[in-house]
Amino acid sequence: MTKRRLSSSLRLLPFIAIVAATPALAGGVPAGSIIENTASATYDDSGVERTVSSNTVEVMVEELLDVTVTSQDGSAVSIGSGSAVLTYELTNTGNGPEAFILTADPARTGNDFDPTVTGIAYDTNGNGIYDEGVDLLLGADNRTPVLNADDTLTVFILVDTPAGVNDGQTASVNLLVQAATGTGQPGTAFPGQGEGGSDAIVGATSADDDADGQLTAAVAAVTLSKSAVVSDPFGGNEVVPGATVTFTIVANVTGTGSFDAFTINDRIPDFTTYSPGTLTFGGASLTDGADGDAGSVGSNGVSVNLGTVTSGNSYAVSFDVVVN
Amino acid sequence: MNSRYILGLALAITGFGFAPVAAAQDRIQLDSEVEVERTKSEGGQTKVDYLPPVGVVPGDRLRFTTGYDNRGSTAAENFVVTNPLPEAVALAKNEDAFVVSVDQGQTFGTLAELQIKETTGEYRAAELTDVTHIRWTLERVAPGETGTLTYFGIVR
Repeated sequence: MTKRRLSSSLRLLPFIAIVAATPALAGGVPAGSIIENTASATYDDSGVERTVSSNTVEVMVEELLDVTVTSQDGSAVSIGSGSAVLTYELTNTGNGPEAFILTADPARTGNDFDPTVTGIAYDTNGNGIYDEGVDLLLGADNRTPVLNADDTLTVFILVDTPAGVNDGQTASVNLLVQAATGTGQPGTAFPGQGEGGSDAIVGATSADDDADGQLTAAVAAVTLSKSAVVSDPFGGNEVVPGATVTFTIVANVTGTGSFDAFTINDRIPDFTTYSPGTLTFGGASLTDGADGDAGSVGSNGVSVNLGTVTSGNSYAVSFDVVVN
Repeated sequence: MNSRYILGLALAITGFGFAPVAAAQDRIQLDSEVEVERTKSEGGQTKVDYLPPVGVVPGDRLRFTTGYDNRGSTAAENFVVTNPLPEAVALAKNEDAFVVSVDQGQTFGTLAELQIKETTGEYRAAELTDVTHIRWTLERVAPGETGTLTYFGIVR
């Protein structure tokens, strides 16, 4: 009953250990580590205390290939008629250093439009934002630098809008991440290709992962409508010589966003003559000369630079002509 | 490749339990062995095998077995076997057959008795992952008696 006595005597003691928390490794014990196990025993041999140790068994920890990737964009990224950046974060959840092959797929089922991928880059200064000329583009092999176990890498997919995209249309861009050593069913082994001469073994993630980034097109559209009001010299609305025709051109901007330096040009109709000093923009008169204001009238007709026009607004330009 | 091959041989030899030659006064021979647990589905049933430790990765379960053999002519009394857990291994399963230590072998008790003082000063119950040592105590190992002591670990 030695054991029982031992247990009960031990129970009287305060069994309190003070531990410093060891950092948890998501990927586990580093690849190439050797697990060693040895038991030892003490015993009483006819009054002589003896000790004995077992042999030491060793197990090498192989390299586990695992990776995760997530989109870092909180909501759909707005893309105008130019370019946009989608942000992803990949994590080496394996237990050894590994590089990853990245593939961007902009032609996803369900896309209203397929963006054009112009490059894949990674964050070199750790600010999580794409800095052109600072963050590096991947080479032709689309291979990341080697990431240590548990390290993360912020990745950017650079996209352009194709022609013909309408406001509000959406698109997904998929980033596929694959361990450079290889992928496959969990348990697939790549002998000798792990860290420290260990085998590389595909983990539960199949050594690949993918994530979608979302784009929403934010493009503005303009419709122009032109109307004419005739007033003849006799108080009527007949188009007769001497009648004045007031043309009004309305630019209606719809969608999302704006256009800069939006200019309306209209020529003076044949058999009519521009009526000087009648050019207006938004109800305010403009001078006819090519001077400091937005409008001018010349041999090619009238021209008004509306400046930046934004969606949800209408802009009216008018001028008078007299029928010859 | 050569060094790996040699290591592989070493693993095979130790893994299959060819213990080093014991010193003459060692009445008791201790023989440590490790196997990896592998499960496979066979006809809808899960079958568990214990195999040589090849392809071991974090999360794998290992079975550590220490065999004892009293080759002497006298009994070993108060036979206490202590097994420090490898740092890379967490205890997978508590068992009545052994007591454990969570303080590098300074004190031993059942897992339920042990507490951990955190760096914040608060106490919490010790968990399997806190265990640093395992200890078996046998009152007496008679001459010619053999047996095995087993624990299961998980590669951290």
